[in-house]
Amino acid sequence: MRLNRYILQDICKNTVLHIFLLTVTISCLFPIFWMVRSSLMTNQTIFVDHSFFPGQLNWQNYAEAWVKGRFGIYFFNSIIYTVSVVTGIVVVSSMAAFAFSRLYFPGRDLIFYIFVAAMMIPLPGSFVPLFVMMNKLHLVNTRIGYILCMINVGLSLSILLLKTFFDKMPSDLEDAARIDGCNRWQIWWHVALPLARPALAVIVIYNSLNVWNEFILANLLLNDKTLMPLQTGLMAFNGAFQVDYPVLMAGLTMTAIPIVVVYLMMQKHIVKGLSSGAVVG
Amino acid sequence: MKRFLTFLCGTVLLAASGCGQASKPANQIEVWHWMTDRHEAFATLARQYEEQTGIKIKLELFAPSDTYTQKITAAAQANVLPDLYGILDKKSIVGAFIKAGLVADLTADFEANNAAWEKAMYPKALDVMRFSAGNIDEVKPGIYGAPLDVTNIQMVYNKELLKKAGITRVPATFDDFLAAIDALKRVGVAPFVSGFGEMWIVDCFASNYAFNIMGQDKVMATFRGEVKYTDPDWVKVLTIFKTLADRGAFIDGIVTKGNKYAEQDFALGRAAFAFNGSWCVNVYRDMNPDLDYGVASLPAMDQSRPVRSWGGAGSSLVVNGNSSNKDKAIAFLKWLTAKEQQAYFAETTNNLPANRDAGTAISPVLAEFSRLVEHTTHPSIWPLNEDPLVIEAFDKGIQAIIIGDKTPVEIAEQVQSVKERQMKKAAK
Repeated sequence: MRLNRYILQDICKNTVLHIFLLTVTISCLFPIFWMVRSSLMTNQTIFVDHSFFPGQLNWQNYAEAWVKGRFGIYFFNSIIYTVSVVTGIVVVSSMAAFAFSRLYFPGRDLIFYIFVAAMMIPLPGSFVPLFVMMNKLHLVNTRIGYILCMINVGLSLSILLLKTFFDKMPSDLEDAARIDGCNRWQIWWHVALPLARPALAVIVIYNSLNVWNEFILANLLLNDKTLMPLQTGLMAFNGAFQVDYPVLMAGLTMTAIPIVVVYLMMQKHIVKGLSSGAVVG
Repeated sequence: MKRFLTFLCGTVLLAASGCGQASKPANQIEVWHWMTDRHEAFATLARQYEEQTGIKIKLELFAPSDTYTQKITAAAQANVLPDLYGILDKKSIVGAFIKAGLVADLTADFEANNAAWEKAMYPKALDVMRFSAGNIDEVKPGIYGAPLDVTNIQMVYNKELLKKAGITRVPATFDDFLAAIDALKRVGVAPFVSGFGEMWIVDCFASNYAFNIMGQDKVMATFRGEVKYTDPDWVKVLTIFKTLADRGAFIDGIVTKGNKYAEQDFALGRAAFAFNGSWCVNVYRDMNPDLDYGVASLPAMDQSRPVRSWGGAGSSLVVNGNSSNKDKAIAFLKWLTAKEQQAYFAETTNNLPANRDAGTAISPVLAEFSRLVEHTTHPSIWPLNEDPLVIEAFDKGIQAIIIGDKTPVEIAEQVQSVKERQMKKAAK
């Protein structure tokens, strides 16, 4: 094949593009690699051994992290919290967003803006009133109390995302469903929700990450160790003066695995959700 | 789909079930603490206490400490504090808790039986929870908490590196220290490391020398505005940093170094001297168990006055003033700070015990820290404290001196102008 100007341009473009993509990939993957590598070292070697692959692999850190961090019960709790909260957010936000988008009722826009404005309030700012309110409702130190609070935390952004999605849904689809005999509930369930699948995937992954990694609110609302989520277990290795880095890294690696799996499962929908907002129905 | 829905319903039901708030048993003391590294020792002692008395100790750990503080603040406002807890805040906040009735007055218990409990504790440790007559927080004089351990911040030195530089005696005077710095530089060893990227360490180091050079009365007079920061003694304090910087005493990048990184440097033999707290014993042991080091006071500028390093109570617990189990909680606290329990605590956690009689169980390095406890002081026990903005200007000024941006006289003038501005504001 003869090299002409166009082929050379193409090769240059591709080379630059691939170098850029490779750099981004390495910068994303390197911290994960470093976390796994550090999880196999000891407290003594972690600061002196700067090699990529540690000479001696200390798998014991994983066992120690699992036992010392009480990961068994915390994993169980985190799964319960993540599934319940994400389900709650998907159900409530999709109904609310559908109502804000397709129904007409007094104060609709005002209520929507209040929801959106709630995103501006930083969580720590609402700690004291939230705790006092939950205490009055006898929901402090209960799973359901924490789940309700976390659903509330995730609602604003989810409603905003879904409302934008539903706004672009052609009204012809709704009319056609109505002609076929669907009521509003059925339109929401049979038409709106299936079409919003990409947006729902974004909401699921975003909120799963949020709940899985949350621990400040859990520490505030829960007292019993048996109710605490996974992130609390990681704190056992992070003392005021001492940090057990290798065990902490082992704990972090184990904690990251489920959420990486969820992300991989959802990634096709997420890309769609991010790019297909303009074409609905 | 059906399977998924079944799983979902099961999860939600599980979340909602069996999680109502339990009522508080009368024979149980609830303790909230933040001490991750001491939790296991705490739990062992709690089990022992239950075996001895039949009273169950429900121990809850909330870490890190800033999250713990948020929890305590929220629980205080909802009036659901546990029987025993800690207040990790300024003394004025402790005062606010006391005035709100959230902390029990333990004075009578400390003074009972010829003040046996009080005498067993290091006075410096008790001072942190003691409010004296006429205190600025307007709290009824008394003792409101019990310390579990004590800490103090001193100079630590690497014995091997000192030997390598031919230094046979730990410097006791500032001139000796400068000579040691020259000797260390000659053999290519960084002389000094500390977490001077953290303001509180800079403040601690400077305040040690302020107390040494001018004494507590003059420092307090400065805080009251009666002595200016441009006074020659204050300029002398600031000049210490310039002298050390010019001499090349500081490890590279010291003004951006957090204490955790400074600890790594010392533990790995990258510097011969460090300025650190007694907690470092655990940190250095984890990073380098073979490190051979000793503890000493900062070398004095003025031999007529002792160098007063920061120290006192490390962790203290208070009893909830509204607790229905107040007497039981006090009894447990008394038991926890008794000699045997404190010795166990010190032995297993490598922290300095608050009980003076429990010192036999500690390691030689900790014993060196322990020897210096009586020479400590702390802002929380001073009769008054400096305005936070003045402290900030002072500490940032020191960092500017170290990197050669400003001279001690320039910083003294800057700090004085901030002081005057704050005094004018306060007068309005």
